[in-house]
Amino acid sequence: MTKPVLIIGGGPAGLSAAHAVAAAGRKAVLVEKEDRLGGAPILQGYAKLVPSHEWAKDAIGGMVDRVAGNANVTVHTGAQVQSFDGTPGAFTATLKDGTTIDADTAILATGFTHFDSLNKPEWGFGTYPDVVSTVQVEQMISSGQGIRCPSDGRVPDRVAILLCVGSRDRQIGREWCSKICCTVSANIAMEIRELSPKTNVYIYYMDIRTFGLYEGEYYWGSQEEAKVKYVKARIAEVTSDGKRLLVKGEDTLVKRPIAIPFDMVVHAIGMDPNVDNMTLGSVFGVELNKYGYIDKKSTYVTMAETSRPGVFVAGSATGPETIDDSIAQGAAAAIAAMNFGAGAPAQAAE
Amino acid sequence: MPIHEKSLIRPENLVEHEELVIDGVDVSGHWSTFIKPRTIFDYNEAMQDEIAALPGGENIHRCWQCGSCTNACTVNAVNPEFNPRYWIYLIRLGMEEELLRDKDILWQCVSCNKCTYACPRDVVPEAVMKATAHWMELKGHTPKSNSTHFDEEFASQVIATGKIEESRVIRGFFRKTGQPLNQPWLAALITGLVRRFPLGYLMRMGWATVFRPKTRGWSASRRAIREYVHEREAENRKALGLDATGGH
Repeated sequence: MTKPVLIIGGGPAGLSAAHAVAAAGRKAVLVEKEDRLGGAPILQGYAKLVPSHEWAKDAIGGMVDRVAGNANVTVHTGAQVQSFDGTPGAFTATLKDGTTIDADTAILATGFTHFDSLNKPEWGFGTYPDVVSTVQVEQMISSGQGIRCPSDGRVPDRVAILLCVGSRDRQIGREWCSKICCTVSANIAMEIRELSPKTNVYIYYMDIRTFGLYEGEYYWGSQEEAKVKYVKARIAEVTSDGKRLLVKGEDTLVKRPIAIPFDMVVHAIGMDPNVDNMTLGSVFGVELNKYGYIDKKSTYVTMAETSRPGVFVAGSATGPETIDDSIAQGAAAAIAAMNFGAGAPAQAAE
Repeated sequence: MPIHEKSLIRPENLVEHEELVIDGVDVSGHWSTFIKPRTIFDYNEAMQDEIAALPGGENIHRCWQCGSCTNACTVNAVNPEFNPRYWIYLIRLGMEEELLRDKDILWQCVSCNKCTYACPRDVVPEAVMKATAHWMELKGHTPKSNSTHFDEEFASQVIATGKIEESRVIRGFFRKTGQPLNQPWLAALITGLVRRFPLGYLMRMGWATVFRPKTRGWSASRRAIREYVHEREAENRKALGLDATGGH
């Protein structure tokens, strides 16, 4: 088998998969919907990444350069797969512009879509300009503009970060935990405190899930060093008193209602399934799970397999995922895809 | 519908008019009962920094509300209203009004330090209780506590002479706290001493009480200690945004 591995999606998982395939001396074809590689960290303008504290444009930019300059990788940007036919070892993908690509196997690294806060209107996004998302704060930091209220450009005295916006919420059909928002919010809170020491930052949470080693640096660090304050309260409503935003809810530890004025409210938005997943599922003939992510088989004896033989999946296409884990999964999917071409793993083991 | 969490209704928030007629309808007595909202409208953001600036309050921001301190607390076992974890939370978030509701029990910490050993985050809750009680005194929310009176009497004697004289400490403490000197337990203690102590001891004690001997060469130490105490007090008052003089 000498046909290339087709990789859909040029974010951390796809870039990692393409690099792994190329490093093994095989050919990869990388198809990216947007006009440039890098995925969410680059396209959405993330600032410093967790846990490396490297700027996204440097860290993920390095991954892009490694792949873009590689003779074993053919990149199609601004391209989408229209149809995907054939069997393992003899797949043919047709792009929307008519280009056809022959491939042994395919890896879906199609990522996620940020939750749109307009779906939680009670929290003021879209109604008040100073209610923003974590992505907007990332952009304020990465652009060098600094933390400023969009309404009048002032530096906020007080910022509230609301966790679980579009996560763990049965009301809007999103029961999953998006996994990264607690840590990202703690990171953002610390960066706000560093950029503007006069700004007090409050994080309103249901539970804190800064899992694993993030606990020390982010959860503890944000409290011990950056003096970020954590309040156990699911916010009921964000309104305005005409001058400042009013955050209403119940402080569950004090068992009293709160209505606290803030200059800026940040939604820690979750990770939705990619909005294109229905199309992707139908084009590639793979099943989605009940939440709408691409279904992945159990990992004990298979690696990165979808419901269709020869089509693999990696990164946040399968559910909320960190950048580091997406990169690892991309490499794992690449190995699985190349091994699949060499013969079924069960036979190889005999 | 029955009222759940009835314990959350505070007496001061209940409004009732003995005589009230609205639009010709007599709603006197409990017919006019109204419960004022308990909403918290703002945080006092300076409070945590102020208490953290006082000796003992330094580590308050480390608390993550596990409750080990309250669980270990000697006083909490007797009075469930005595809740260090809760107060630390209030201080951290600046809920001054809520904290002040407990100003009359907060000083009751007996400094057993069981919380200090239980705390997984080295907050030293015992020291935080002291700093908080101190903050309340400096801010004028509470009068000086009995333990403050005792400490002051004790310290003033040490500063004056380099020594303490027990009977003088007790007399000064009772005077400052408005307690009668004629306490049965004290009378029993003194008569017991007089009966059992050798005469030489008693004479020396009597002599020390009357003449208040100083430690040799104490005046230089006294100056240094006074200077240090003034410095620290001025710092504390400055941290709380108070003027440099006054207080104790």
